[in-house]
Amino acid sequence: MPPALQNPITLWLLLTAALAGLVYAFMRPELRWRAIGYGSFLLMCAVAIWPPYDRNGVPGRIHLGLDLRGGIHLVLQVVVEDALNATVDDAVTTARDQASRKGIQVASVQRTSPTAFSVEGIEPARVKDMRDLARDFFRTGWEVRDAGEGKLQVQMTDLYQRQVKEQTVQEAIRTLERRVNALGVAEPVIAATGSRGDQILVQLPGVTDVDQAKRVIKTTAQLSLRLVETSAATQETLLQGVGGKVPDNMEMVSGPGDTPGQPTYYLLRKEAMITGRDLKSARVGVDENNRPQINFALNATAADKFSRETGRNIGRQLAILLDGTVYSAPVIQSKLGADNRITGRFTTQEADELSKILKAGALPATLKYLQELTVGASLGRDSIRDGVRASIAAMAFISIFMLVYYRLSGLNAIVALAGNLLIVLAAMAYTNATLTLPGIAGIILTVGVGVDTNVLVFERIREELRNGKTVRAAVENGFERVWITILDTHATALIAAAFLFQFGTGPIKGFAVTLVIGLVSNVFASYFVSKFIFEWVLGKSHVESLSI
Amino acid sequence: MEIIKNPNFDFIGKAKYFVALSIALILAGAAWIATGHLRYGVEFSGGTQLILHFQTTPDTDKIRDAVTRVSPGAVIQTYGDVKNNKVLVRISQEASESDLDGPARALRQALADGYGQNAILESSSEIVGPIVGAELRQKAILLTVLGLLFQLIYIAARFKGGIWGVGATVAALHDVLIALGVLTFFNFEITLNVIAALLTLVGYSVNDTIVIFDRARENLAHRRKDSMAKILNDSLNQTLTRTIISNGTTFLAVLGLFLFGGEVLRGFGLAMVVGIIVGTYSTLFIAVPLVNWWYVRQEKAGAPAKAKV
Repeated sequence: MPPALQNPITLWLLLTAALAGLVYAFMRPELRWRAIGYGSFLLMCAVAIWPPYDRNGVPGRIHLGLDLRGGIHLVLQVVVEDALNATVDDAVTTARDQASRKGIQVASVQRTSPTAFSVEGIEPARVKDMRDLARDFFRTGWEVRDAGEGKLQVQMTDLYQRQVKEQTVQEAIRTLERRVNALGVAEPVIAATGSRGDQILVQLPGVTDVDQAKRVIKTTAQLSLRLVETSAATQETLLQGVGGKVPDNMEMVSGPGDTPGQPTYYLLRKEAMITGRDLKSARVGVDENNRPQINFALNATAADKFSRETGRNIGRQLAILLDGTVYSAPVIQSKLGADNRITGRFTTQEADELSKILKAGALPATLKYLQELTVGASLGRDSIRDGVRASIAAMAFISIFMLVYYRLSGLNAIVALAGNLLIVLAAMAYTNATLTLPGIAGIILTVGVGVDTNVLVFERIREELRNGKTVRAAVENGFERVWITILDTHATALIAAAFLFQFGTGPIKGFAVTLVIGLVSNVFASYFVSKFIFEWVLGKSHVESLSI
Repeated sequence: MEIIKNPNFDFIGKAKYFVALSIALILAGAAWIATGHLRYGVEFSGGTQLILHFQTTPDTDKIRDAVTRVSPGAVIQTYGDVKNNKVLVRISQEASESDLDGPARALRQALADGYGQNAILESSSEIVGPIVGAELRQKAILLTVLGLLFQLIYIAARFKGGIWGVGATVAALHDVLIALGVLTFFNFEITLNVIAALLTLVGYSVNDTIVIFDRARENLAHRRKDSMAKILNDSLNQTLTRTIISNGTTFLAVLGLFLFGGEVLRGFGLAMVVGIIVGTYSTLFIAVPLVNWWYVRQEKAGAPAKAKV
């Protein structure tokens, strides 16, 4: 094809010009405008879907859904409470720091719920100072209430809670996008979904290594570095050391110990010194013994805090916690800075994956997995074959029936059917809608219902002919009288399709899309194009009989 | 060619027998469902479903032996054509949200250990956590009811009489209930695709009814002297050929789906096949007689019968 014709618009204009020439030469003047209009529209549809499937390296215009191409479909839920907890924890630290900076004695600052914390046991003389301080620091997004007896309650406002939740979901989506990009998947879908907006839909079409993709997405890396209070080989000995009960500001976490298969238990501060959010970069390196390690760098503010805290705690253990497991707990030898490393027992591949996950950014909140759908490529091919076979069978059944029953007028209906199909596919290509297996079912159904319009018209024409009308009058009356019926039937079908659309999930949405497009294009193809063909064939002169 | 020359059947007069038949069918279906025969697909019930593609012809007994060791009560069946070497394994045990594909992994491992001689080339899976299933069930019922309600409102507005909307809606609901009963009776699973078919059926059934209502409206405008029963019955007869042909062609289309659409579309196809047969029947014997019954009652009560149409 010459390069000029590869531009679809040029191609379409040329084809339309050719059509216009033919129409001008051969068609009666009163039909010309409609012929050019309808013909040009159908030509545009044909150009829009070319090529329909991948051909000679040119990507096909019809996007196949996951169920036909193979791939992964995940629905995740963001546990937004995690983010709320973290926000309140930050506030708790701020309140404590500010109080000590101003020299106000308080007994405790504690989180009381995922959205509130309280300051208790404030020295009586300074209650007002503390309240003013809190009101100053927590002016926006918080409500500070004096509960009396030296106690302040600080609560997040509803608006702020909503903001944090939304932000968390958006952050999680961005993180997932980065991870998916690292995988190099074409046309991924990552979007918020669900009635409360806290679910994320991830679709990775055409992914072949399903397991690897799932590992990278699923690993909910929440990195944190925390001070170790004590550690022991069993839970019992650990608990004995602290009087049988884990203190409120601590938690017990396990991790691999020195001997393989023997876990070590750690008592950690709940407050993290550093979290995944403070990470600037992470990459794989090797240590002195040539074992893989992960080098990571902190951003400026975190680096300051890290160097201050490590300087204050030399000689103590610092646990590196990733997703609830202690990877390692090295002893702090000296004051640390911005560039650090994690060593542990991992293989190079594990280290590589871990650094990728860290680099992609730790998620701000835990993700729960609600739904997982993987479709293998061969299953997709089976579905395409089944869908195509069913479509061909359906069209063949209908075409044969229409030809036998309505003779030459049946041919008119088949032209309308083909036009209808062309428009549906073109609309799907143009709007980038995906074709799913239920979508194919929707197209077949559209074709079935589309023929109904022709049948309505044809039966009415026959009735008019029986009542002794001339052919031309019968055709005219036939089309005119069924118009209102066609409007009503299509409107009700559209209502049903609109509710199907509300299901909102993958394949069914594809079905609803084809149904809606098909209903609209049907009015054009089976009514207007069909009417035009009748007028064209019947011509201007007197007609004695009609093949119907 | 014509199917029936000048049809003149007494649909309205015979309607009471058919109404009795419909009620009996719906009650039978409801009883069948109530006694625990309704099977939900994995997307509604939650759980794990795997489609495993084996290298050579799989031996379902050996697969069952290996699988029941980790998940007792698993459903194992050949998927699609035997020569495809595909097997469907369904386990109902709940997948936890923190480790959704745990049961699936355990199952694949058990197969590798107990039936390792036949390698799995490809595995497709559908794993649904408990929250999604429950949400989806509620959504399906809500959307079907809302879809019916909005169509009722539209028709009532278009025909300026609530009874026309009620007639079409009752007929559509009738079709959905019978289709559901038939699917359950033949042990088909209620999947998302089946729900899509049932919702489409609502639209299709109402569509079919409207054509006849439209004709009745047209006749009412011309023939004010005739009784409502006669006008409705004539409208049914005048459109009878169209009813048969249109439903016939749609029937052919969905028959193609049912026969050639493969495993995924079989339930969808059956729901549509049944729905179209029942939909035609309900238009003739439920929707129109219901409208007639209402007007007869109005007449007896002394109210103006066909005042506003």
